[in-house]
Amino acid sequence: MLRSVFAKTLRDSRRALLWWSLGLVGLVAMMVSVYPSVHQNAGLNKLIQDYPKALKAFIAFGGTVDYTSAAGYLGSEVFSLMVPLLLLIAAIGAGARAVAGEEEQGTLDLLLANPISRRRLALEKLAALAAELSVLAFVLWAALAIGTGLAGMHVGLDKLAAATLDATLLALLYGVLALFVGSAFGRHGPAVAVPVAAAVAAYLVNALAAVVSALSPAQKASPFFHYAAGDPLRQGLSPWHTGLLALAVVTLAILTPLTFERRDLS
Amino acid sequence: MARNEGTPVIRASALTKSYGRDRGIESLDFDVEQGEIFGFLGPNGAGKTTTIRLLLDLIRPTSGIVRLFGVEPRSNPGLRRRIGYLPGDLRLYEHLTGREILQYFAELRGLSSPAAGHALAERFGLELDRPVKSLSRGNRQKIGIVQAFMHDPELIILDEPTSGLDPLVQQTFYALLLEVRSTGRTVFLSSHVLPEVQHVADRVALLREGKVLLIETVEALRSHALTHVEVTLAEVAARDAFAGLEGVQEVERHNSTILFALRGEIDPLVKALAAHHVLGIDSHEADLEDVFLSLYRQGHDAP
Repeated sequence: MLRSVFAKTLRDSRRALLWWSLGLVGLVAMMVSVYPSVHQNAGLNKLIQDYPKALKAFIAFGGTVDYTSAAGYLGSEVFSLMVPLLLLIAAIGAGARAVAGEEEQGTLDLLLANPISRRRLALEKLAALAAELSVLAFVLWAALAIGTGLAGMHVGLDKLAAATLDATLLALLYGVLALFVGSAFGRHGPAVAVPVAAAVAAYLVNALAAVVSALSPAQKASPFFHYAAGDPLRQGLSPWHTGLLALAVVTLAILTPLTFERRDLS
Repeated sequence: MARNEGTPVIRASALTKSYGRDRGIESLDFDVEQGEIFGFLGPNGAGKTTTIRLLLDLIRPTSGIVRLFGVEPRSNPGLRRRIGYLPGDLRLYEHLTGREILQYFAELRGLSSPAAGHALAERFGLELDRPVKSLSRGNRQKIGIVQAFMHDPELIILDEPTSGLDPLVQQTFYALLLEVRSTGRTVFLSSHVLPEVQHVADRVALLREGKVLLIETVEALRSHALTHVEVTLAEVAARDAFAGLEGVQEVERHNSTILFALRGEIDPLVKALAAHHVLGIDSHEADLEDVFLSLYRQGHDAP
């Protein structure tokens, strides 16, 4: 497990990955176990349909808010907020630790005294971040597949995979942003603060655009919009929305080694 | 000592790194030749660590050129396979053991095994199976030394290497330096105190406030050194009894005890003393630290 920067980074995060996995499994187990009593509860559904538009905008995922169908329930209860929240925290934490964490702890000097280029280091750290999120994505997908099966919820495995992939790309985007900021400035604080602020802003713009029409042009720029807009739990992957998220991830990933190569280490 | 004529292992020309007003280095010029131990001396804040980090491409020069083995470190990260580095502010992965750190760096350097590192660790009495966080400063420093030497690098760059080492381990370390020099390796050794390098270094550069004050062989420095001779006479000598003697300077006098500073031979003083009734002579060996202090002072007084 100490064969490369990539392997060591994964090794260092094995404990964190275990805890995040348990969290995701717990979330899915809790939400899925409540579903049988919720989806037959006409009163609750009536109540939710009567929510103000602004409130519905926050729990919507893709299509309309609908607690009577399995896809609608999963979208609102699992994917609209909780899954991105958990995956983003995990991703931003890992992205900020990757370079800025090592730099602040002072281990980067000795690491880069080895025959490994800055570009190589940045790329291996990016690959490790992607691998960590892939592990969490697989755990989430497997928990959803088993959970929905046990609860008799009819959502195709491909639809679950599509929603999970979109959520993973969204988290990866902010994780790569953390890695980018961290390797551009070498400080852990901004590497966490910048993506957190960016994510909160993008989330609010997307949710409020449903109520505040002035925000609707900006909504298209919010990654949270493209995360849900394709309605992956019902429609599967949308090449356009998923493609845009992937493009944003790749663009930031390409910029990361370029800025890291140029600057002085602190 | 034989030196290869050819490309110097390290060449710095007009090397400058500015950080605001006071820190950084200014127009450093020096060559380090293959097979020598080059002492890089200066007080804390003189720019030693800045220079070393420029050599390793951890930071980039504001202007000027640095070459290792004739090429630019910036465009040749593979060069670092030929270099061993011990940082002045050594930070290791706290949760890893010494063995794991050596294994990791061996992999990154393309070594088939960290066995050479294990042998060195044994020589330094280093416990390899405890996590770094439970190790004393001295033991951490040993890991730093072992990793710097384990891939048999052609150039070893050491920033304040003996800090935190007990004297016995320091002896082992100096012995290791002399061994690697005998196999043609080159050592760049920084320190803020002279005694640390004067017994092993071939040449020293003296750095002050980001500039090189001088580069000299240790022998040449020693010949500049003043010897102090304390003479006690049976009677109080006349004020000018020892004036005008070649290379002899009267430093101070307490009644019949006189302190002389000698440059060069002691003979003129001995001849002059023969005219007196001498109770005792006490001579202190040339102290390079004094030479350095006087050089620092000159550097400081110079405009």
